[in-house]
Amino acid sequence: MSVSNLLENWSQVRHAHPVDDKPHDPYKWAMAIDLDACTGCNACSVACFAENNIPVVGKERFQHGQQMHWMRVERYWDEDGREFPDQGFQFLPMMCQHCEAAPCETVCPVAATNHTADGLNSQIYNRCIGSRYCSANCPFKVRYFNWYDYPTDEMVWPAEMTQQMNPDVSVRSKGVMEKCTFCVQRLSAAKVTAKGEGRIVREGEVQTACQQACPTGAISFGNLVNPESRVHKQWEAQQVDLVKDKQEKDESDEKAVLRGYRILEELRAYPSVMYLERVRESAV
Amino acid sequence: MIDSGFDRRDFLKVLGWSGAAVALSGCGNTSIEDGKETVVSYVEANDYMIPGIGVYFNSTCAQCDAGCSINGRVREGRVLKLEGNPDSAINKGKLCALGQAGVQHHYNPDRVREPLLRNGSKGETITWEKAYALIAEKLSGVQGEEIAFLSGGVSGHLKALLGNYLESLGTKNHFVYEAVAPGVTRAANVKAYGVDMPRYRFDKAQVVLSFGADFLGSWVSPVHFSQQYAQFRKGVNGQRGVLIQVESKMTLTGANADRWLAVKPGTEGVLALGIINALGMATGDVAELVKGYDKARVSHETGVSPGQIDKIAALLKLRSPSLVLAGSAAEGYAHGSQNAAAINLLNQVLGNVGKTIEAPVSVPFPQMAPSKGNTAALKLLNDGLAAGKYKVLFNFAANPVFTAPGAFKFKDHLSKAGFKVAFAHYLDETALQADLVLPLDSALEDWGTQVPEYMTEGAQINIQQPLMERLHANTRGMGDILLNLIKQKKADEYKGFEDYYAYLRGAMLQNKGALGGGGTDDDTFWNTTLTQGIVKLAGTAGALSAHVGAAGLTLPAHAAADEQYPLHLIPGVTANLRDGRHTNQPWLQESPDPLTTIVWDSWVEVHPKKATELGIVEGDIVEVTSKTGSVKAQVYLFPGIHPEAISIPVGRGHDAMGRYARGYGVNPFQIMDAVFERETGELAMHETRVNIKKTGQRVLVVKDEGSAGALQMGRKIAARVSTDQVDLSKEV
Ligand code: SF4
Ligand code: SF4
Ligand code: SF4
Repeated sequence: MSVSNLLENWSQVRHAHPVDDKPHDPYKWAMAIDLDACTGCNACSVACFAENNIPVVGKERFQHGQQMHWMRVERYWDEDGREFPDQGFQFLPMMCQHCEAAPCETVCPVAATNHTADGLNSQIYNRCIGSRYCSANCPFKVRYFNWYDYPTDEMVWPAEMTQQMNPDVSVRSKGVMEKCTFCVQRLSAAKVTAKGEGRIVREGEVQTACQQACPTGAISFGNLVNPESRVHKQWEAQQVDLVKDKQEKDESDEKAVLRGYRILEELRAYPSVMYLERVRESAV
Repeated sequence: MIDSGFDRRDFLKVLGWSGAAVALSGCGNTSIEDGKETVVSYVEANDYMIPGIGVYFNSTCAQCDAGCSINGRVREGRVLKLEGNPDSAINKGKLCALGQAGVQHHYNPDRVREPLLRNGSKGETITWEKAYALIAEKLSGVQGEEIAFLSGGVSGHLKALLGNYLESLGTKNHFVYEAVAPGVTRAANVKAYGVDMPRYRFDKAQVVLSFGADFLGSWVSPVHFSQQYAQFRKGVNGQRGVLIQVESKMTLTGANADRWLAVKPGTEGVLALGIINALGMATGDVAELVKGYDKARVSHETGVSPGQIDKIAALLKLRSPSLVLAGSAAEGYAHGSQNAAAINLLNQVLGNVGKTIEAPVSVPFPQMAPSKGNTAALKLLNDGLAAGKYKVLFNFAANPVFTAPGAFKFKDHLSKAGFKVAFAHYLDETALQADLVLPLDSALEDWGTQVPEYMTEGAQINIQQPLMERLHANTRGMGDILLNLIKQKKADEYKGFEDYYAYLRGAMLQNKGALGGGGTDDDTFWNTTLTQGIVKLAGTAGALSAHVGAAGLTLPAHAAADEQYPLHLIPGVTANLRDGRHTNQPWLQESPDPLTTIVWDSWVEVHPKKATELGIVEGDIVEVTSKTGSVKAQVYLFPGIHPEAISIPVGRGHDAMGRYARGYGVNPFQIMDAVFERETGELAMHETRVNIKKTGQRVLVVKDEGSAGALQMGRKIAARVSTDQVDLSKEV
């Protein structure tokens, strides 16, 4: 589709959260991350480097804020001025939230980032012109820009190291924006196989690299519209509805709360990642 | 780019190594990812080598000694990514960040590629024939006691072969040295439980009280423990497990605690006895021992409030069984054994032994069990070197020039050894001192067996097999090198083994029955073994000793602060960098430290209160001085440290090794004093006292946290809820 064609048919291309005439069918990829299981170990982040040909930028560029970790583990501690963080830290694995009404998509002048029918926020590298508007507009700051031509940089990818690169994932060059894809190469492979067998992808058949590595199983990933999927069950049990910007349970005054929430939900981006609050024992 | 510098046909040739491509029965062609790709035995892979389709080989992670099984994705003859092998009871399909980075060990551009012989300050490339001849020449006429072999932990057939080699040389001088190992805890465990590493059941515990055991990060078997931890947190019927961590410097595990308690450095044992006292459950000599440890005294000595001690005691009584652990923070003092004994005593008083502390199983081949060692072994070697005892020294899988405490002056003493041979992956600090450097295959190119120290359900022997052809023509596997060396001495006995692969296969087949292969033919057994990557064995479960007693337990009186060196130096051991052997893997350098988010550099953790007192702010370069030496590094203000202590992470500060390690950060081992644990003679890693001075320089700390630091600015980003507000029983 040419850009002019694309822009003319903008409403067709740009799906906001699913409306009645465009339900997610048969796939809507989504995630749930249990912060009470996450230990902040970074296995997910390194696994993502390994799977997705992510460049290591080095100390100086890191200092300039040019790091490329699609998956980063944020760390917070209490802000009430106590002497010691005696309830531990808070860790938060943060990657593209694959928003259903993604703020990054609307501002891209060339529609390089848009929504797929299975609910991914996708990035088309060879359409990207590097305006970086998307990154400016992302509330989660999960978009990473290639300030340099990393694949030709001897310190980043010396010849030996290029042999490790995943041939299923494109290598990005200078001037291009990138971010978590929900490991789309794995999803595509699984979908092709399933299609060949005349079925849809089964629960558990595909894992993202971060999910697969996570030692505590904090990350679940799957097809939200498949009632058999763990992700679907988790979202349902936590009463988090993809298409709402304010969940009903948050209005109720029941005492025991459910842990599921989405970050910055009030911004109406409709993220596809639900987090489960970290739990702390009240008896000690 | 796909096949750069790599001949696929050669690889296929190697794949046919065993000469037998037999049909497999019951080898489980497990479906992965898209259901198309298959797990196969290495010897059979040529049938499966289809361009564009990944093949998976099972092998064993060699990044640490935990023995997680890996499942390596190979395409067009290159290994691309490592996943955990779901069939391993240790890691059940999971892998840590360090394990993930194993491919960067293999593809590292700074590997040693040729045998190197010292010529002045340079290394000259020589042939393997010449290298072997040189070793034979240097060994001739040398007495057994003049030969020393230093190694990291070794297990499996390599250990057996190494033992045979040392025997053929007539030497008993095998020094097993791991810079970061629970040496004191092992000894204390033998006293308390009768075994050096029992099986810990986090999954059965309702409360875990850990005195500085970083079981989620760097302790013993972190991937396994992390999985158990997840189960422990889920609990039964919504009754979630509670973690209390006691330590002077927060570890990754401490950061995950429900209650993190900053104790005064070295008072862990006092707190344990104080809790026994508060429980009021002890009898006999134990009751007698803890009588003096009332809350007022314990609180005064440890800094933990009396109310907190009561709460912990009440919780431990209410929720049983619990699990109490002694880790590196407790054992790192001159009275480390006593600390650990007090902590183990708490376990016994609580009746946890037999419930959450079980007898371990061991592999029925003791000659393959891992050899363990800590710094006491290095001290012995160091003393011998200082006395000029050794004419030939071998070094394998250890980097003592980097990890020995500065007070050992190890590098100086090393120069007194006559002829030094280093089996090396990198030209690290120790290899640079060698006369002969022999380049090793990577763990993804080599054959081997590994027996983990920490077993889970049943025993297992892990198989290591090449995931691809060797990248560099002139590297060799350690097994092959040893076999060549032993042939110099016992040619007749070993002439039947063409290479280490043949030796390994022969040795495994010889024990086929005991390895669960009785009744199958050799090829089937061997192919199945390689396909699975693990040999699971029933193992023999020992028994724990039930002895409870306080005999010999005395904790030292609280020591007055040293005026010249008022602060404790706590070396931070991190999950990714451990003792620094993998620092040249760039993913690990750029993976932020979970607690400080710092990358590519070292830092000094200072409590904000202390920093205010000293007029220090983040990024100030300070000079940290001990009796032994000093280092300069940037300050990070960190609330998770006791104000009487500072912490510098170990693993960085290399001045050799490679482009990603050299010149980044400082090495705190260099300023460590030689203070030893009284009973075991191990290095008391937390006993070094230091002072810090501002240098007047300041840098921007390179870290991942943003301008808001650790704060959420009142927004619900990483949210938290307390147990009394949430009902976990209905969760999926
Ligand atoms: S889903 Fe894939 S791309 Fe996204 S963070 Fe996880 S590993 Fe990285
Ligand atoms: S791998 Fe899992 S436990 Fe580790 S930081 Fe990532 S989400 Fe958390
Ligand atoms: S704990 Fe990590 S480094 Fe150690 S064996 Fe397991 S995966 Fe490898």
